[in-house]
Amino acid sequence: MATKEKKTVDKRTVLIVDDTELNRALLRDILEPDYEILEAASGLDAVGVLTSRWAGISLVLLDVVMPGMDGFELLSLMNRQGWLSSMPVIMISADGSADYIDRAFDLGVTDYITRPFDEQTVRRRCQNTINLYAKQKVMENMVTEQIMEKERSNFQMVEILSNVVEFRNGESGLHVRHVRAITDVLLQTLRRRCPQYGLTATQIALITNASALHDIGKISIDEKILNKPSRLTPEEFEIMKTHTITGAQMLEQTPQQGGGNDAFLHVAHDICRWHHERYDGRGYPDGLKGEEIPIAAQVVALADVYDALTATRVYKPAYPPEKAMEMILGGECGTFNPLLLECLQECAQRLKRELDLNSNSSMSAMEIRRVTSELLSHGELTASGRALNLLEQERSKSQFYNAHTQDIFFEYDKELHQVVFSDGGAKELGLPSAAVPLSDQTQREILGEEPLADLLQRLSGATYLDPDIQGEYTLALPGGSRKFRLDLRTLWGSEEHGSFAGIVGKLTPLGEG
Amino acid sequence: MDLKECYRRMGGSYDEMMRRMRQEERVVKFLRLFPKDESFALLTQALPGEDWPAAFRAAHTLKGVALNLGLADLAGSSSALTEALRGGEPAQDPAPLYEAVRRDYEAAVAAISALDGAAGGN
Repeated sequence: MATKEKKTVDKRTVLIVDDTELNRALLRDILEPDYEILEAASGLDAVGVLTSRWAGISLVLLDVVMPGMDGFELLSLMNRQGWLSSMPVIMISADGSADYIDRAFDLGVTDYITRPFDEQTVRRRCQNTINLYAKQKVMENMVTEQIMEKERSNFQMVEILSNVVEFRNGESGLHVRHVRAITDVLLQTLRRRCPQYGLTATQIALITNASALHDIGKISIDEKILNKPSRLTPEEFEIMKTHTITGAQMLEQTPQQGGGNDAFLHVAHDICRWHHERYDGRGYPDGLKGEEIPIAAQVVALADVYDALTATRVYKPAYPPEKAMEMILGGECGTFNPLLLECLQECAQRLKRELDLNSNSSMSAMEIRRVTSELLSHGELTASGRALNLLEQERSKSQFYNAHTQDIFFEYDKELHQVVFSDGGAKELGLPSAAVPLSDQTQREILGEEPLADLLQRLSGATYLDPDIQGEYTLALPGGSRKFRLDLRTLWGSEEHGSFAGIVGKLTPLGEG
Repeated sequence: MDLKECYRRMGGSYDEMMRRMRQEERVVKFLRLFPKDESFALLTQALPGEDWPAAFRAAHTLKGVALNLGLADLAGSSSALTEALRGGEPAQDPAPLYEAVRRDYEAAVAAISALDGAAGGN
């Protein structure tokens, strides 16, 4: 990774945003010996450049007063896009009033330079700002690395422990992994659907990890009962039931260490003791009812039942997922929180995929990244240096593909409500710039009233599971009308959000329209 | 006319400019770009139509450019106009302020066009 970073470091890129050519030229003259310079003559122009190249830009020099989108508006937008966390901005203005300067710093600029500036000041402040951010990135990577290492070893300890129990059960350890996977998916779904539970990514990771310990109390149960292929007698069942309390006691007796470990022990305790409780109060060992049962235990209970049904056991065959769902919804395994049942139904397809996947993988890279990024940003997901590197590789790949095809690729960004065409694509279409803001009027002008309605109608029918759309459309372009085959794929947010996030698309020319 | 004399005529400080920009070549290069800058023309267009936001932006830009190039007189007069136009409808008649800007602008353009053909005056 270090060598890869070095390549891009050779000459860093600075974006100058100013509507006055003379001002841009002056800054370019001062900075060109040390930096690669990009220019944008308006706020909107800058959005285009930032959208397509933000990962490669080390610093933005930003004018305040500009027609259209001014410097402050651009800053707010950069904030919303999360760009400011990896890209410093220095504001430059003839206006040195406290009012402006305060506002600029409030919006997240790193420095503020007033006109008239001198050459040395501009060069030194640019250099300082870039160095500061570069150091921060290196440190961020180091912290990420350490947290990942710690998470990984925690995970391994839990996995070893739960496998000990599983082996005694005569099971392969798959059950623990499946319960983890189901718990994770259910919690992600629950987080989105029911904000009242106030679940965070960190809590979800904690509960998911602790779910692996749900049956550790079984270590105290006689193997003859544990592995009995026929139905348990009432006395045997009473003994079997004690694994909940035994597990909880084992965790209660674990010395507390303070900090995050205690939260883990607490959640694991709740799960062990109450993962056989039922929403109507008819479970064991305490007969808790409804929301008296901690949500962590409710979720693991459902995950436990779902996997028990879909897996082969000494006393039963494996049911197919559809049958298992039917049995759970029909109340054959006891009563569950109706909200959780809705979540289970919603993520039925994903569960199937995850269980296939999780049959032989340990903690996924995605999971680790999710947790570390949350820890790093106190609740907000940000792009870490690692993610930026990945992104850079993706860009390089797509540039290569673009260079070797006649087709025109584009991306639609929902937040910015604009379409950005591939390098060359904009030229091929005769557009003045690669980024095209999509006002309702532009959409009508390019597509025409009826085809637009048709396309929007089809888009509204797209889903996470059925994301693709094809069709033939005639586009009114600066150089005249042309007919294209249009292929679209709708993009959906990560599992935390799962909402519509944007579109990628391809235009294949079909001749003159 | 050499650069020192040029700055004297434009009501600016040669020494201060040299301290900031360090190279005469650079200063001359950007002075020669100054007559091509459109801010003054935009200002002149915006005022009669009472397009206050556009006039404010143009005056503000002109002030910034003048500050960058060390044109102290023009920076002063355009700053006064900028403040009068800040926040929309001007509180006082901007015409006399504009006249001052025009006078300083034209003096600057005249002085720049009289600069020696060879860059610098060493």
